[in-house]
Amino acid sequence: MSEAILSARGLHAGYGAGDILKGVDLELPRGDVVTIIGPNGSGKSTLIKTLGGLLPARQGDIMFKGQRLNDLSPPRRVRAGLSYVPQEYNVFRNLTVLENLKISREFMAEDRPSENGKGVISDALLALFPELKPKFKVLAGNLSGGQRQMLAFACALAVTPEVLMLDEPSAGLSPKYMADIFETVTRVNDTGVSVLMVEQNAFEALSISTTCIVLANGRVRLNGPASEVLGMQDLQSLYLGDTRVELPERA
Amino acid sequence: MFAQTAFNGIVTGIIITLPALAVTLLFGVLKFPNFAIGGMMTVAAYMVFALNVQLGWPLVLAAPVIAVVFGCIAIGIDHLTFRPLRERGGITLMVASLGLGLILENIARFVYGNTARSFAYELARPFRFLDIRMNREQMIAMIVAVVAMAAMYVLLTRMPIGRAMRAVADNPALALVRGIESPRIIRWTNFIAGVLITIAGVLVGMDRALEPPVGSNYLVPVFAAAILGGLGSPIGAFAGALIIGVVSELSTLVIPPNYRIGVPLVVIALILIFRPQGLFGQPYIRK
Repeated sequence: MSEAILSARGLHAGYGAGDILKGVDLELPRGDVVTIIGPNGSGKSTLIKTLGGLLPARQGDIMFKGQRLNDLSPPRRVRAGLSYVPQEYNVFRNLTVLENLKISREFMAEDRPSENGKGVISDALLALFPELKPKFKVLAGNLSGGQRQMLAFACALAVTPEVLMLDEPSAGLSPKYMADIFETVTRVNDTGVSVLMVEQNAFEALSISTTCIVLANGRVRLNGPASEVLGMQDLQSLYLGDTRVELPERA
Repeated sequence: MFAQTAFNGIVTGIIITLPALAVTLLFGVLKFPNFAIGGMMTVAAYMVFALNVQLGWPLVLAAPVIAVVFGCIAIGIDHLTFRPLRERGGITLMVASLGLGLILENIARFVYGNTARSFAYELARPFRFLDIRMNREQMIAMIVAVVAMAAMYVLLTRMPIGRAMRAVADNPALALVRGIESPRIIRWTNFIAGVLITIAGVLVGMDRALEPPVGSNYLVPVFAAAILGGLGSPIGAFAGALIIGVVSELSTLVIPPNYRIGVPLVVIALILIFRPQGLFGQPYIRK
């Protein structure tokens, strides 16, 4: 296994008095696709928000490329190379498609002086999302759900990140778009971007993943190769949070 | 008579456009209605008066200099007054802005008294066009306001900082995730609001007279314009201001002019009942 580009140790986070995450450990090896599954309320979205900096970590460390990330603001985490696609409200609805794409690159200059031509969208990016180009002048709020998800995806990639975090990218999409999304994840990963993804559609997500993490009650219940988890007969129960399922010993 | 009243209404509306845009930009980015803009308008206008009348600067020089200075003062005001209260929510900020507006207006009153004053510039005869009497102040107000609106349009649609302001107004959490540092955008928004408020203060002072309530007198029509257009929508502020200006003036044809101030209040009531998001606003979704 290659070195971890992103990792968390003993992560606690939550809203109000109680913790939702109760000591989460995880590793995203460079170049891998790691998928987090688990029942509703298990802390999947909280985990990804904490890694992205929208929610402060109350305890534990978040490490990115050997650097402790806890005290960096969300914009600085993005500029450091950790990009994030939220589940909902993930495009600026009152801005056009092109404006959404441009704005994703325009504010990186301070931390990344090497980024030339900021504001310019690369052809390679547009090749990944061919359907966006004819829609450049359309307000993002007028796109279909699937197109909006593609735009959110493209915006997150416009900053040339090293890690892409996706919060339920296929939620609410038609089967056609769902297939497109997972295919795009694979193609993005092929360009060397490591992917950390929270997903409800466990079968589809795990079939393109290297590793699967099962989260339940704010703790990691299982962490193993995606192919093995896919092969488990009780995957459905596991994903729904059935605690009677017998799990292999954690490594 | 009708044409003349409608023309006066358009001029009033165009002058209201600038502070309405300031209100809508500040609301969009900071999510509270800033009632201090009345007092800010007064103070900015008196600062221009100090340079123009007391130090003898020409108005065309005094106004832009104070516009920039007051833009910086607006950043300072936000830093000292509103930033420490940011976490407490919109109602607290709104009340603070009401108090600040009163303080600013009374600072102007303390220094310059209640006497109505006017800027020093050459007066010109009004001229007539198609039976409509136009004076030079009205023409200057229209030209300056239209140029300022065009500049704002370019800023908001063509420049990164303007796009970022719209992005923060649209979705502040997503703006963070897209690498936009909100404190910087907040500073820019306050600066631009300060510039717009100064220009409006000077135009109002030229159109009417300069006295301490010069800003607070405009609060109701300005907020009516911003709410009618849809708070947070720049194009809405423009349309709302024109409608409020024309409707208020035309109302004097059928109701006593003293009751004109009630017209924007009626508009606010109607829009809040029938279309709370305004003409161009997005329905509010609690996230």
